[in-house]
Amino acid sequence: MRVAVVGKGGSGKTTTSAIIARTMARHGLSVVALDCDTNPNLGISLGLGDDETERLVAMREALDEGEQEHAPSWDDLIDRFGSDAPDGVRFAVVTRIQNPEPGCP
Amino acid sequence: MRVAFVGKGGSGKSAISGTLVRILAAEGKKVLAIDSDPMPGLAFSIGVDLTDVGIPDDAVEENPDEGGPRYRLKPGITSAEAIEKYAAYGPDGIRFLQFGKLRGPSSELFRSQMAFHQILRELKPNGWSVVGDLPGGTRQPFFGWGRYARMLIVVAEPTAKSLLSARRLARLELMKEAPRVVAVANKVREPADIELVAAHTDLEVIGAVPEDQAVVDADRRGRPLIDEAPDCPAVAAVRSLARTLQQEAGQ
Repeated sequence: MRVAVVGKGGSGKTTTSAIIARTMARHGLSVVALDCDTNPNLGISLGLGDDETERLVAMREALDEGEQEHAPSWDDLIDRFGSDAPDGVRFAVVTRIQNPEPGCP
Repeated sequence: MRVAFVGKGGSGKSAISGTLVRILAAEGKKVLAIDSDPMPGLAFSIGVDLTDVGIPDDAVEENPDEGGPRYRLKPGITSAEAIEKYAAYGPDGIRFLQFGKLRGPSSELFRSQMAFHQILRELKPNGWSVVGDLPGGTRQPFFGWGRYARMLIVVAEPTAKSLLSARRLARLELMKEAPRVVAVANKVREPADIELVAAHTDLEVIGAVPEDQAVVDADRRGRPLIDEAPDCPAVAAVRSLARTLQQEAGQ
């Protein structure tokens, strides 16, 4: 199963995603949660806390700034850019925080 | 005054900025409200009937200059004229300039967006009070979409995600030629909530809006707060914020 949660700001996307991810993990599924928001907060809702969430964001930003190598494969991405959240959810920040198109909202 | 509101999605940027716009206009000020969010929001808080009023296609052309933005206003249309022609009318003479709303693939919006961005870049001090409402999150603010403002106002709720977002937005101070960055605490239950915003952001908190059921009710009805509940605590707090902002701007 692969789902993406979308909606207006403040509508509850992050909270909903985190609950879906943790619930599925509690049912024994192997779950990867990806934060694709340019203001990534999913780590907070998963229960990782401020510091670990910001560490993952900083690592993703280092990639944009050329200080980190891109992951060549899915497994490598989850391994290097991911973190273990409660209930065994594997979590990574994958959003492209920098964007060269200045007109893009 | 020239201010722009930023903050996490759902923190209350549109409710506060829309109410502020109405308060200023009711005092007789000429007010330009700037909505750069591709999602609907500010129009409802002000009470503008139109929710999708971008810059029309026929006012925009491809930009022949290499390295510049892909589209621009047609030569002969100044920013001031574009505002006069394309900004919608709201209550009390408010003018409402909008980015255009997303209806399909984002490329369809580029023409309107880039013309809108040009208008903001060329916006001159003109006796207007300018109040902007940026989309939730960090992307537009960090691309300089709030540069027309002399003051960026970070709206923060006392929740972990909103405070973390506000802390990220506080770094707008580090941008080149950054305007002043301040915070407004929203959905405040107790004075400690204001302290929390100050401690997390390291910004000066210039206003605090209480948690108020009237805001939620107005939002559910899609109606301006100031029309639905003109005497509610949240509107009183925005009136107080308006006075502070006017003092700061020397008005």
